[in-house]
Amino acid sequence: MRYVIAGYVVVLTLLFLYGVQLVWRRRRLNRLVAQVEDSRSGDLAEAGPA
Amino acid sequence: MTTDTSVQSPRVMWATRVIGLLALVGTGLTVWLGLWVTPPDKVQGDLVRLVYIHPGVAWVALYLAFGLAAACSLLYLWPRTRSLFWDRLAAAAVEVGVVFNVATLISGSVWGKPTWGVWWAWDARLTSTAVLLVLFLGYLALRRVPAEPEVRAKRSAFAALFAAVDVPIVHFSVLWWKTLHQGATVLNPNLSPTIHGSMAWTLLLGFVALTLAFVWMLLVRYRIGALEDFLGSGELDMALLERQSEGAGPTPEPLGTADDARAPVKASR
Repeated sequence: MRYVIAGYVVVLTLLFLYGVQLVWRRRRLNRLVAQVEDSRSGDLAEAGPA
Repeated sequence: MTTDTSVQSPRVMWATRVIGLLALVGTGLTVWLGLWVTPPDKVQGDLVRLVYIHPGVAWVALYLAFGLAAACSLLYLWPRTRSLFWDRLAAAAVEVGVVFNVATLISGSVWGKPTWGVWWAWDARLTSTAVLLVLFLGYLALRRVPAEPEVRAKRSAFAALFAAVDVPIVHFSVLWWKTLHQGATVLNPNLSPTIHGSMAWTLLLGFVALTLAFVWMLLVRYRIGALEDFLGSGELDMALLERQSEGAGPTPEPLGTADDARAPVKASR
């Protein structure tokens, strides 16, 4: 049975860690994009209407 | 260029969360049924419980992920449907597929040790699956070679199609050659499953749960690709330069210089 448990643990841990890593990457990029868009909209507001 | 709104809409984000939740519940149920509820096999004993995850991860890697990558690559190469959407989807499918391919090889190896007495054998099924992993790792490496998006997409599409030739070889390897690996349990030539009752239902649930996990990972990975493309499009450099030249205060810490901000983008492709 220990081989069965080992198989489940390894596969599920691998998929879980990859999933966590995906969420972390997405959050980081979302934050980065929001910062860029905030800075751009701030610059446009300072420049005033064309 | 803007970020792809189709993956940012609240509906898609809500669907992604629901799919993720269903995948978690489904996987949890599969583990419970697989380890505690289903009976041991007459021949393999408790080792048969690995059947509830090993074919499931192989199904996702070979047929869903790499199959989807090949289909997307064809759609990219076809002039009428050419769009970077297909290239981005293929890249997402391959990355997720590689993770499932590694899971397939590891779970197969863990099953092989008590059954065959060895962790690894140069068997046709095992070897062709390992070759598949190497081919798609090559695809991911190729994507990291600097190039214009269209050039990268075109050569990646050819690479994916080349690599996908190995998928039918893996599938039919147990029929074409004399192998240690058993034949297909469900997708056999007669299409008559050799598994029944609670074992069959648990196997089916495992397939569904892992398929949902794949869809969730694919959606999240696609979104990452869309964000990376947006940040790598040059708009980031322009925004930072504008901000610095107008003296709007220090650059936000995570961004650093334009080069710093681009480095992780390139590294993650």
